[in-house]
Order: sequence, then structure tokens, then C-alpha cells
Amino acid sequence: MSSRSEIFGAIKALEKREISHPGDFKSYSATKDPVGDFKNSLSIVGAMCIEVENKKNAEARLSEIYPDLQRYASQDVVANGLDLEAVDVLEIDGMFGVAENGAIWLSDQFLPNRVAPFICQHLVIYVAKSEIVATLHEAYERLDGNYADFGLFLSGPSKTADIEQSLVIGAHGARSLCVVLT
Amino acid sequence: MLNHAEASEKFIADAERTTWHDETLWFVRSKRDKVSKLLPEWEALREQASSIKDHTLANLGQYLEEFEAKAQKNGIIVHWAKDAQEHNEIVHSIISKHGGKALVKSKSMLTEECHLNEFLTKKGVEVVDTDLGERIVQFRNEVPSHIVLPAIHLKKEDVGETFHEFLGTPKGNKDPQFLTEAARQHLRGYFLGANVAITGVNFAVAETGEFVVCTNEGNADMGAHLAKVHIACMGIEKMIPKRKDLGVFLRLLARSATGQLITTYSSHFAKPREGQEMHIVLVDNGRTRQLARDEFRNSLKCIRCAACFNTCPVYRRSGGHSYHQPVAGPIGSILAPNFDKSANVDLPFASTLCGSCSNVCPVKINIHEQLWFWRQDLMKEGLAPIGKSLSMKGMAFVFSNPTIFRMAGYMGRLVMRFAPFIVNNSFNPWFKQREMPDAPKESFQSWYKNRK
Ligand code: SF4
Repeated sequence: MSSRSEIFGAIKALEKREISHPGDFKSYSATKDPVGDFKNSLSIVGAMCIEVENKKNAEARLSEIYPDLQRYASQDVVANGLDLEAVDVLEIDGMFGVAENGAIWLSDQFLPNRVAPFICQHLVIYVAKSEIVATLHEAYERLDGNYADFGLFLSGPSKTADIEQSLVIGAHGARSLCVVLT
Repeated sequence: MLNHAEASEKFIADAERTTWHDETLWFVRSKRDKVSKLLPEWEALREQASSIKDHTLANLGQYLEEFEAKAQKNGIIVHWAKDAQEHNEIVHSIISKHGGKALVKSKSMLTEECHLNEFLTKKGVEVVDTDLGERIVQFRNEVPSHIVLPAIHLKKEDVGETFHEFLGTPKGNKDPQFLTEAARQHLRGYFLGANVAITGVNFAVAETGEFVVCTNEGNADMGAHLAKVHIACMGIEKMIPKRKDLGVFLRLLARSATGQLITTYSSHFAKPREGQEMHIVLVDNGRTRQLARDEFRNSLKCIRCAACFNTCPVYRRSGGHSYHQPVAGPIGSILAPNFDKSANVDLPFASTLCGSCSNVCPVKINIHEQLWFWRQDLMKEGLAPIGKSLSMKGMAFVFSNPTIFRMAGYMGRLVMRFAPFIVNNSFNPWFKQREMPDAPKESFQSWYKNRK
């Protein structure tokens, strides 16, 4: 007998128990100021945040934050992720942000390669102020039916506290994250 | 092998380190308290998570089938393993098809449970753990002492020493920032060259056939998106019914674990990327056995946040290694006897049964009750540690016999008043790190009788 049928056999042999799914969670943590909360969460998770009128106006601010660094803003597909190893600053679009935790939804529909937001040294993500939801429940509501082949919630730069619980920013992924609110 | 009490004795021999360990984990627990209190619906979320898991476990077969079908439709290759051995063999057979000398692996408690590293090393495959804490303990030929903070038993001096030996960092340098940078450079080389990446799975969604992996470092993604082959290993209990359920669990997981709002990366893998091969290995290894036991079934709800470790007064003061199991702490002490009762009889006794674990658990597992159930089970089977069963039998005898009970109390009070050295000595384990209390002059019974 295959292990698969052994496992299913063991489960099916159990007495049937009727326990229904509780249904979707009804959240009552509303926010009056999603953008303000989002910015607050970003600072907690160690991300920078700048606000600009439109994408073009970000230029001056970004070259202040990342002087002398090459910036890469193309969304054209890069077949081999290794080709992005040399990227200093990657600029990408986030689909929406989550106020309660500073997370931004990224999906491979808008990434040059899945590894892009991890392999670059620094990351810049554009998010529209009109696209901030309050909680993760609303976030999944928004994603309903939108099943990316790969997608992620990204909140802040990569970090670790594995050495004596001291927080170090820049573990394996991006060393800094700058969110540009448009 | 040392039992929990013996191993703890070694751990606490270094009083300063024990205090540091204790306080650091308590600090993590306090962070959890702070962020959880910011959510007015925290308790409702725990209830929801618990109900979703109860429902899932009651319908596990159906959800596993649904997950398998969807995942296969997504182009993922699905494997089933009934035990650790089969899991390791499956993983090895995939690796040998693709060659490569080294593979990168992010944190997966399941692979620890199956002793995958050992297995692959024997077959000549170099496994590189890429989580910083796991890499540190791997260099030191140790195992993680905590499921979320694998190197929490070490001080930065220890890590400095280890990195000096293995990575050639300057002797005496113990700066966490510097050491982390050294590890980043060292591991980047492996990420860029690895053919195969192994990751764990935090949640598998039946509705969509996708799985979610959470990290702060980004190591799971660095590995998975660069390697030609991605192997994700999971226990069959990691299933959840719907994508929307993820909202509940992702809100609870990091807040419970480290007091973070969410992990830095919560990656949803639905399909392999172009040209990539994606495998998922679903492992039983005793889980269906646990599923059949009414009193222990809901230990399978665990989402491995480690909140129960951080709050546990015994774990904090005895360290993860004294549990001699890949998953230590209160939840490990419930899971371990399911694998091997006689090898793990000490673990359900490594608890004060204070219940703090059950109070912080995000999926509301009745952890301390299950510890107590195991104690009864092990006693009944005559497996309990000899000291425990003797003293329990003695207690049962005294409590069931009123005359002897009164006598014993009288003797006890006499001893404590006139000959305290009889109990205040190193043969009495209760005296270690404690002062014995002053004994009352009379018993409650005689006080009650004589009161006006
Ligand atoms: S038993 Fe509960 S508290 Fe402990 S690790 Fe599992 S989910 Fe977390």
C-alpha cells in the first residue's frame, strides 16, 4: 500500500466529527486614518517613508537618500535572477499597503523576477495613498480571486535578532526599504 | 542521554547565563503582550484560529485531497511520506536527480524532527542552514534550542568565537552587526550557487493549493527563487481551508512569536517559476496517531510560534537543549511522548502546570492539561520516572488514610521547627535555589477545632 493511501486510510478510519468552519472573521479594528497608521507601522518595522505628489517628484528625494548608488527601475522580466545580483537600489510598484502592520502586497505580475525584492541591496516601493487597507482581513478581501503565481506581503527591510536578541537590519534580503507614498 | 532534570542542572550551573536567558525570553513574552493588547479583537482572533483548526482537523482528509489536487494543477509535484525515514529518502531522491554538492535550507522544524541534515550528510550532501541562528548552531554541531530563536542559548561572545573559527572573522569581535554582515556575505555565495533549496511551510491553503512561508531574514526566498529545484517540507497538520483564513493566522503568528506586527516576508508560493521544479512533501510521522487521541488531538493545531516557550518558567530556566527533542518547551513535551513514550517520560513532568502556556497560545491549545494527561498515561503504563511514581504512591497512601495524614503533618511540622537541616539539604530537590518556609505551629485541622 502506498504511503498516501496509508495516511488517508488512517484518517478515514477515525470517527466522523462534525465541526463547522466559523466563517470569515468579522474584524472590528477600524481605522480613521489608514495612511497615518500605515506610516506609523512602517516606522515600527524599520522602513523609511517619503510622501510625494507623483512618482516623478520622488527623484530628488531618492537621490538624497541613496547618493552614488545605481538605481534600477525597470519592470521588464529578467529571466535569470542572478542577473539582479549587482542591483544596488531596486524600484518597484506595490499593489496596496496594510495599515496595521506596514505590509505591502507584491506579486510576480509586477516584479522583474521573483528574487528581485530579496537580492537587491536596497529596495524602493511605490504605493498609492488611496491603496491602503486597514487590516490583513481587508487585504485578503482585496486579493479574492487574484491568485498570483507568487506573491508576498513585505513589511520592512530584512532583519534578524539571532545574535543575543540584538536587532540587526539587513540579514539576507534588502538592507533598507524606502516606501514612496504617492 | 540526560533526562530533563539532569540536563537542566548543567544549564543552571552558570547562574549569570541562566538569568540572562530567563530575562531575555521574558522580554520577548512582554513584547507579545504589548502588541496583542493593541488589538481590541485579540481574543476573538485566538478563538477564530482555534475554531478554524478544529474544523480543519475534523476534515483533514478532505482538505488534504483538495490541496493535493490544486497544487498538482498548479504544477507542483506532491509527495507523501508516512514517516521520517521516507521523508528523508524522498528528499534525497529528488536531490540526487539534480546533482549539486550543496543545498540551502531555511528553517523547518519538520526537517529537524526527521533529522534530515544528518541523513543527507551521511549521503554526502552538504546541507547549508541559511537562517542565521540555525547556521550558528550548525557550525557548532548543535541543534536549535528554540523553534523561533535557534541560538538563544548562546551569547555574542560564543557566536564571535564560532565565526572566528569558521568564517575567519577577527578574534574577539562580538559585534552582532558585524557578525551578521559576515554571515550575509558567506551565505550569499551559497544562495547564488545552490541547485536545490529546501524550505519549511507555515500554512498550506487547500482552496488554492498554495503554501505560505514566513521569515524575517529573507533566506527562504533567496534560496527558493534562485534554485532550480524548490522542495517544501510540511507536516500534514499545516493545512488551512481557505485563503482568507490566512488573515487570521498571519495576524497572530508574529505578534505571538516575537511581538512583531508581521514577519518581514510572508511569501505565497502557488506555482513554480518558469523552468523551475517545485516539490512538496507531506509528512505524517505520527500525526494521524495523535489525531486519533481525543485528549491530545488538538496539539496538532500548533502554529509553532513559541509563545509557550517564552512564557514557561521551566523552559526559561532550563534551556531548550535539556528537552533533548527538536521541539522543546511545553508543546514539545506534549508532542514528544507521541513519538516515543519511554524515551520522553521526563518531559511531561518538566512543567509546573501553571497554565501560562495555554493562556498565551494563539490557537488555544490546552497545553498544561495535556501535560497532565500524559503524566496520568505514563503513570498508568508504569513508565513514569521512578522518583515520581514512588512519591505519588506514597502521597496516595497518606492522603487516603486520615490517621497517617495527621501523623505525617505533625511529624513534618516537628522536623521543620526542630531539625530543619533534614529538609534543608541537597538531597531535597525542593531546597535547591529555595529557602524552606517556616512551619506553622499547628495544623489547620487543630486550629479549626480549637478556634472559638
Ligand atoms: S503550542 Fe501554541 S503557543 Fe506553543 S508554539 Fe504552538 S501555537 Fe505557539
